[in-house]
Amino acid sequence: MVTRTETASAATAPRAGLTYRPNVDVSDRGTEVVLVADMPGASAATIDVTFEDGVLSLHGTVAPRASSGRAVRQEYGIGDYRRSLRLGDGFDGSRIDADYRQGVLTIRVPRLAAVLPRKVEVRAG
Amino acid sequence: MPAYRTGFTLPLDELRDEIDRLWTTLVTAPPLHGWGPRSEESVFPAVNLRETDDAFTVEAELPGISVNDVDISVSGDSLVLKGARRGDAVAANSAADTVASRGADHAADAPTGGKVVWLLRERGSGAFERRLTLPVAVDSLRVEARLVDGVLTVVCPKLAACQPRKVEIRGA
Repeated sequence: MVTRTETASAATAPRAGLTYRPNVDVSDRGTEVVLVADMPGASAATIDVTFEDGVLSLHGTVAPRASSGRAVRQEYGIGDYRRSLRLGDGFDGSRIDADYRQGVLTIRVPRLAAVLPRKVEVRAG
Repeated sequence: MPAYRTGFTLPLDELRDEIDRLWTTLVTAPPLHGWGPRSEESVFPAVNLRETDDAFTVEAELPGISVNDVDISVSGDSLVLKGARRGDAVAANSAADTVASRGADHAADAPTGGKVVWLLRERGSGAFERRLTLPVAVDSLRVEARLVDGVLTVVCPKLAACQPRKVEIRGA
């Protein structure tokens, strides 16, 4: 998993047209926070995930689809995806894992071991 | 609409969302695919339909849905997309399928032992069925469908009798 800075992801040229905010599910599973985003039509190679100052940002570039003929009905638009969420402190940005399949991006952000609850052994004197 | 933990999304993100919504309303730009709390009243899936001389191409966004979970049937000029999106596997086997609205001391009471606390739930799941009427009848035997990266593409060739044809004019 690559963690890039905001400047690095901003360097990727934005595509003309609307940018969409993908719907997400975010769940806290104790040792990690899992974000699942619907990003149909993107590809693993063109998705950028960054984690900086407690903010998780995702950006997906969607290639224009081959379209022949004339549009009879257009119910949804096609464009890049962009969204940022504040997770806060206590996460390990170097161990973030991202996976893209069936148009769904899943990001696992593990908590730092130091902030997890820990049972302290009591030694006998 | 689930209750969100306050301060979880960025204020600018919320503002951007609001602007997007206004923009969409004002210029009637097509919305994002039909899942989610913002489009509860809309039909799912949203489709784009294109026409060439010999075929119609129907495109729909079905993220997180496997090939085995979609049924497509064609008859005459009618096309039916049917299927279901499975819920989150972890959510399904967890009793804690509830949305929590929690305070600032969140790190201190972080759940352990596999308990899931939802911070945001915008993606829907469940069954869907969409019936479309195409402008003319199509050749059901030659309809082909592909599902790649959550995008379904159904190519429906028109019946020969419905295709444009240049008519020769005979001389006297």
